[in-house]
Order: sequence, then structure tokens, then C-alpha cells
Amino acid sequence: MSDIVDHSRRQFLSFAGKAGLTTFVAQAVGINLGMVDIVRAQTGKRGVEPFRFAIISDSHLYSMPDHKFDQQLADAVAQVNAMTPLPDFVLYGGDVAQNGTEDQLVKGSKILKDLKMPLKIIPGEHDWYLDMGDAWRGLFGDETWSFNHKGVHFIGLNSILVRDFWTGAGMTPLERMTVMEMLESPIPGPWGVHEKQLEWLANDVKDLAPDTPIVVFTHSPLWDYYPRWNFQTSDAPEIREILSKFDNVMSYHGHVHQTLFNRIGNMSSVAALSTSWPWPYPPVELAFPETRMNRADPSIATDGMGTQIIDLSGSFEGLVQYQPFEDSLTPFMRDGFKV
Amino acid sequence: MTNKMLKIERLLAVSALAGVIAAGTSWARAPFTDEELAEQKAALVESIALGYDLWHGSRADMTTNGLACGNCHPDTAASNPQTFPKYMTMYGKVIPFREMVNWCIENPQAGTRLDVDGDDMTAMEAYAFYLHRGKEITPGLASEQTTPIVVEYGTGFARTPTGIGVDTKP
Repeated sequence: MSDIVDHSRRQFLSFAGKAGLTTFVAQAVGINLGMVDIVRAQTGKRGVEPFRFAIISDSHLYSMPDHKFDQQLADAVAQVNAMTPLPDFVLYGGDVAQNGTEDQLVKGSKILKDLKMPLKIIPGEHDWYLDMGDAWRGLFGDETWSFNHKGVHFIGLNSILVRDFWTGAGMTPLERMTVMEMLESPIPGPWGVHEKQLEWLANDVKDLAPDTPIVVFTHSPLWDYYPRWNFQTSDAPEIREILSKFDNVMSYHGHVHQTLFNRIGNMSSVAALSTSWPWPYPPVELAFPETRMNRADPSIATDGMGTQIIDLSGSFEGLVQYQPFEDSLTPFMRDGFKV
Repeated sequence: MTNKMLKIERLLAVSALAGVIAAGTSWARAPFTDEELAEQKAALVESIALGYDLWHGSRADMTTNGLACGNCHPDTAASNPQTFPKYMTMYGKVIPFREMVNWCIENPQAGTRLDVDGDDMTAMEAYAFYLHRGKEITPGLASEQTTPIVVEYGTGFARTPTGIGVDTKP
């Protein structure tokens, strides 16, 4: 593992030097992904002490004992624990559970307790809609949070809130959960963080200087990717507006189960791989299509899944490296790309 | 009945048959009426809707681990029906789409394969092909990501979701 990381880092530095400051050749397992336009981070006045964090996301644990997804989450934990150097902490991107039951969330929290480093977590829709987050909060605490780490301000938001479609329809909690479990469900409509969290966010950042490096973490992407699958956050424009005063914002998210990069204004957006299954790309154009991985090979049981690490530099540049479970034909940008 | 009468009757029957054949060749069957077309479309939609339900976990024996087709293939994305028959590495030979469906049921879903000639398999195929309608038929490899048609939000099959998979606990 350490060999891969060290090798990749050398390659990254080499390529970054050749490609200059505005472009970067993403290179993965011998496959050239093409050119990725990079808006170079503005170097803030305040320095960032370089550090690394990891992301694990979307484990979708089922209740059956010894389900294959249990082991896949355990493998992700082991993969992160084996990183050299160790990440300072791990962000978990939501959807610990598949059906939102307490036993599934408890199972996930037990596996995640094996992490050697602290965990910060936000919820996904699969964690939430059986009991509206009661079990999740009992295990993991608040779903809206912020903290400062080595000069960077980290923010976590619950982005999977929907209008109440269940009370009027007289749905049971299980029926509500079933509606939310389906990606292309026609009923719930678009998710968002909603007014209360927008107010919280505005208040959280109001005293921060514009050169403060910001990392915002949500389950769904903070841009309009493919609303039908809720590859969006309905009030992302409001979030981006609140964060527009900052020189540079990095958004990391789960939910899409695929490699993905985008940039809107001052915000870079990076998706996490899932530990459970890969999702296909929706039928839309991407601004950065070269960040797309190939279709996973279904004959390789964990192809298209894994974790990721982010190394932040002193000037708040991030090197994102996907850490796939499998060596396959799928290019994962394992050698990293810069945000 | 006399032999003469029998002959006359045979002659009339043969003449009538010839008349029918003549009419058939000069007047082909009328095109389907709007009502007939509506019935045929309704039958297809019924099959597609059944496929939608099966795709989202309505049949318990298709899985033992809770996974449904829809887990990995929302809106049938990346099921690529228009690329079959094609060579699949797990078989080491060219297979039809129906066999690929059964592979997924038996492997990722750890379930029991469907009867390839049954109505349920036809329904699965109807749903997948319907969401790939208009896509070019391209038998062969599809290592590149392929997608179904764009489905605008809320304009897919507005049926009550049956949920993805089953849970062993109530």
C-alpha cells in the first residue's frame, strides 16, 4: 500500500511539473485519462499545515449476518488503517445502512470503530427515513457540524432532507423508507439541506476570513448533476452563495458511487467511491469527462469500489487519490488529480 | 344424398374456398385499428410495468442477499440490452441478454434464475429495452459506459415503488 502511495505521489509531482500550473495529466495504471483543467487554488494568507484525510462512503449494510457488504466495509477500514502516512481522520459520506434499521446502523458503527483515527460522519437517505434519524443520531451524534483542523475549516451538512410526502399519504415509516431506498423513485422529489441548515451555515462562516480554506462535506453533490437520481442538492446554489466569499472551497460527497470531479466558481467538487456497488454514469454530459471511470466489470465482485485519500498542501491544494479494491481495467485516477 | 348432389356440394365448397383465397390476395387484412393498437400497447406497458417491479425486488426468490437489479442499474442504466448478444468473460462465450439477467440474479443477487421463456423474463427484457428505445443496436463489447435514455425527473414509471430488495427483519 505504501509503495503505491509513494509511487503515485512521485508520479504526480513529476506530471504536475511537466504540465504546468493550470493543467494536469491524470495518469492511472498506465491509462492516460487526458487533460484535466485545474483552477489552481488561491494561496491564502493563513497557512495550512499539510495533512491527509481519508473518505469512506456508501456501505449500504443489510441485516443478514455475514453479508458481503459487511466485509467490504471492513476491507475499506483496513485499507485506510494501512495507509502511510495515516490520515489524521476519516470522513464517512453517508448510507451506512441500506434499509435504515438500527441493527444495520449498529453493525456499521461497530465496523467503523476499528478505524485507528477519529471519524466524522454525515447521514445518507438510507440511514434516515425509517425513524427520521433517531437511531443514526443515537450512534453518531449531530448531523450538522464544523471543526477546524490544521488551518482548514471543515463543515458537514445533512443534504438528504425532502418535503413531507408521507403524512398526507398516510404512509408507515417502513413505506416511507421503501420510497426513499429507490434511487429513481418518482415520489420524494429533490433533496436539500433546507432553511435551518442554511441559516446554521451562514452563521457558522460569518466570522471567517475569505482566505480561510473551506472543506464542505455532504451526501449528495452540491451541483445539479442528475436530479432524477438525486445526484444533486436542491439548495446547493444557496450553499455556494453563502460560501462564495471564500477564496477556495472543496466539496466532497458520497451518494454517486463513482469517480467524478466538477468545479463551479470557487468550489471544487469530488465524489467518493462506494464500498458496496458502483453506479453507472447518468445520461448527461460532464464538464470533466476524463474523471469518469469505465463501466465496472460485474464478474469482479468488488470492481468499481474502494476508498479515497486527500492530501492537502500548505497552499490548500488537494491531491485526490482513489484507492480501488481491485486492479482492473477501470481507470480510477489512483495516481491522483489536483483540486 | 345422391352422388350427384355430393359432387355439386363439393364443387360449391371448392368454389367458395377459391373465392376466399382470391379475396385474400386482392384485399390484404386491414391495418390494425386504433383500438387494436391501443390494446397491443397496453399489453406491452403491462409487461414493462411487471418488469419494473421485478427489477426493483418484487420477486423474493430472485435474491437471497437483498440486492435487486435496481441496486446497480437504476433506470436499467448500464444493463446495455442493445449490446447483446455479446461475449461475456464470466461465460467465455457469446450470450443473449436473458442469460446476462440470470447471471446477475444468480451471482451478485445470489438468487434463483428465471425461466428464460417465462413471462417474468420477457417483462424484465421489456423494461430494459423500453428504457433503451432508440439506442443504436450494437452487438459486442461495451466496456465503455453506456446509458439508457434520459428520463426527466418524475416522468419515469410513476408506479408505487416496490423498494430495492428485501430485508430479513421486519
